[in-house]
Amino acid sequence: MTSEDDKALEHEFDILMAKCGASVPGERRAGILAGYRDMKRMAALVRQPRRAADEPSNIFSLKGFVRSK
Amino acid sequence: MASKPLHELSIAEAGRQLRAGTLTSSQLTQHALLRIASLDPLLHSFVLVTSERALADAERADRELKAGIDKGPMHGIPYALKDIYATAGIRTTCHSKLLIDNMPAEDSMVEAKFKAGGAVLLGKLATHEFAIGGPSFDLPFPPARNPWNLDHFTGGSSSGSGAAVAAGLVRTAMGSDTGGSIRGPAYYCGTVGIKPTYGLVSRRGVFPLSYTLDHCGPLAWTVEDAALTMQVIAGYDALDPASADVPVPNFASALGEDLVGLRLAYPRSFFANQRDISPEVVASVDAAVQLLTRLGAKIDEITLPDFEIFSACGRVILTAEAYAIHEKDLLTRPLDYGRYTYQRMMVGATISAADLVQAFRLRRELAAIVNDNVFSGYEAIITANGLTPAPRFDEFPPDVPPPMTLQTIPFNVTGNPTLAIPTGFSRGGLPLGMQIVGRVFDEPTVFRIGAAYEAAAGWIGKRPALELPITAERAMHHHHLKANAETS
Repeated sequence: MTSEDDKALEHEFDILMAKCGASVPGERRAGILAGYRDMKRMAALVRQPRRAADEPSNIFSLKGFVRSK
Repeated sequence: MASKPLHELSIAEAGRQLRAGTLTSSQLTQHALLRIASLDPLLHSFVLVTSERALADAERADRELKAGIDKGPMHGIPYALKDIYATAGIRTTCHSKLLIDNMPAEDSMVEAKFKAGGAVLLGKLATHEFAIGGPSFDLPFPPARNPWNLDHFTGGSSSGSGAAVAAGLVRTAMGSDTGGSIRGPAYYCGTVGIKPTYGLVSRRGVFPLSYTLDHCGPLAWTVEDAALTMQVIAGYDALDPASADVPVPNFASALGEDLVGLRLAYPRSFFANQRDISPEVVASVDAAVQLLTRLGAKIDEITLPDFEIFSACGRVILTAEAYAIHEKDLLTRPLDYGRYTYQRMMVGATISAADLVQAFRLRRELAAIVNDNVFSGYEAIITANGLTPAPRFDEFPPDVPPPMTLQTIPFNVTGNPTLAIPTGFSRGGLPLGMQIVGRVFDEPTVFRIGAAYEAAAGWIGKRPALELPITAERAMHHHHLKANAETS
């Protein structure tokens, strides 16, 4: 990555932290930023070609819900 | 034949002696408590030793067994729980400052089942904070240490469970496994560990890390001990929404059978082509596969989707769910979490709703590939557990490192039962191992393969060479300090 890419990533990261209301302690920031970089790579990997009707694994089940009440 | 030390008796061996009247649960328990008092100052595997409870459980078991009351395979047998399992009236901290005074009112379902089965609780075991943040030195308790070499990591998050079982402090100890937290410590510490099929063991009362990936299961010294523990803890729980309403099999039913007629799939490239793989690991798993062949199994090399695809799927889900569980405390009490815990969990705040849904869609696809394609032709998959032996503690950097080189998360994603089992030792004397992955709800076949390998390979005859540096007087002093913590 270029330094410009790094800066863009940091900017994105800061926006996301602000959006969720987090005040990240400064000395812990670098580790989360590295994790964010890795998470972006994984978020790309989970996007595979698929049809609109291909459902998630954890689809809501009323049978299961009633059973647990 | 010379009699074994008490801590080397398996659950079945101890059970036979308890029922024959040649051994009492009190003797077994006192031996375990003294061994904990002597060795655990080195290992830090227990965060709480429940001595009074243990001795009371043991005395009750002795009375019941003497009266002919038999509550099953763990009646009178000591066990221990990772400190994320709720225990009524006994502190349950998740190894965290946030829950340092947490005193549950109710037992987890697993603990209730151990109680109903007449087992003997020795105490609560070290974990990575909330089953994710370790190894860490900034938590209320130190990290557990690897009995094979105290400078090395135990794996996590069921770190105390791995250390305690390997050191012979307890035969069986509960762990939990969201991305490899049973199988990782089993691998690094050289024990057996079973991540059962998703939904087979109730998660109720176990502090969640990731609702859809959490599995509860034991680490044990032998395959048989793991199977007998499963017999006590498995079963449908209507109050766990993920609990599977299926019959509980006899987990030990196929132990002792040979492997003739079994077809095993060996996705060697799944791990052998990875960048960080140790040649020792490849050689060890290859040798194990050759032994399985000699035992009668037919083995074919197959391919699976890349490990990275499984890993991405599991880690997006795990990180998002963990963040959702801890969101409020992460935002309001960031410094009450250990550094690694906080750094791992806060990444969850960056995951979008679409990322998570795509990961859940991928999960269905991966589970179908494994269960519909591979398991239509094979009874089990054999693969590596980790890419390297246990790292040293001083190899861990100040900021949380990328995920370790474990190969475990694919089977959290698919939900299949997976047994971790030792396959030998590195040149440096650290354990190596493999995973045996089975069809869903087919734990008996997984245990059958594991037991046949274990008997032929003979690794269980080797224990860590831990010295007993603590004098009896100092040991009992330490023992009292830990026991007192129970009531403080």
